[in-house]
Amino acid sequence: MVTVITDAERDVEAVLDGEHVLIDPTTLPDALGWELKPEGLCREDVCVPVRDRAALFVGERLDLAAVTAALHRPSVVDAGAGVIAVALPSEERRRALHDRQAPPFTLPDLDGVPHSLDEWRGRKKLLFAFSSW
Amino acid sequence: MVIGIAIDESVDDVRPWTDGIEFPVLIDQQHTVSELYAISNVPTVIWIDEDNRIVRPNGVAFGTDTVTAFTGIESKPHLDLIRDWVRNGAMPETANAAVEDLSDDEVLARLHFRVAAHARRAGDTETAAKHFARAGELAPHDWTIRRAAMPLTGEDPFGEAFFVMYQEWEEAGRPYHGIPGEQAGV
Repeated sequence: MVTVITDAERDVEAVLDGEHVLIDPTTLPDALGWELKPEGLCREDVCVPVRDRAALFVGERLDLAAVTAALHRPSVVDAGAGVIAVALPSEERRRALHDRQAPPFTLPDLDGVPHSLDEWRGRKKLLFAFSSW
Repeated sequence: MVIGIAIDESVDDVRPWTDGIEFPVLIDQQHTVSELYAISNVPTVIWIDEDNRIVRPNGVAFGTDTVTAFTGIESKPHLDLIRDWVRNGAMPETANAAVEDLSDDEVLARLHFRVAAHARRAGDTETAAKHFARAGELAPHDWTIRRAAMPLTGEDPFGEAFFVMYQEWEEAGRPYHGIPGEQAGV
């Protein structure tokens, strides 16, 4: 079992080979929300072409870091700790900084109830990032 | 309306700060919003309109004057700008200010931070310390990385470690992703 961290954490069945996290291709949607199709890496109606498909594989298994790299999302693996952290899509941040579209997110409130930015569409909002530190 | 985003490890860390607060407060344990919006310090305020368009990007701003003696930033000019936007639709001068994208290292620092925080929650303090340190090396002037790691590694975020980071940050020219505090009221 390996923990995949993106905007949340999920545990997926995986084999560790050195610093490589190897998963069965059928578990890719659970791990990352994308799946490998003949036309490339796909999610909903979006597909990203994969130039070197063989480079994603070690034997029959997918190298998760190679998949995230193909999506232009860097990752950090700690095999000893059984964890891989994957960057969020950088195009969402660029959309925020250049096109001024607020990237969507979903986070829990202090009672654990999830909320999305979209809940407050139609209102003027101040996003106020703060911290205890 | 205000939406509070607490860039904190646990609900228990946040609760002491939310007493009597009526607006929604969300907890961002994975620093998701800090990555999506390129936030490098708190407090950072972003104005977002009815259609979820960013009207005024990341900016240093305070709701009160409790830390004005240290920061030199007064709360009123920014609050006046907000009132003028809400009531009259007036855009501040800084509406189109550019926010620098995160560097590759600053993105990697966020990943190391997440691995470290995960390891810490699992009780693996050695792995946590290694990745917190790497995150700090990659983004030495990012407060959401280095200062956020202080309470998670047994350091006081208001003590010596803070002042060391503050001095380095000053010497580096006060890097910040967004509108600096001197322009809070502009």
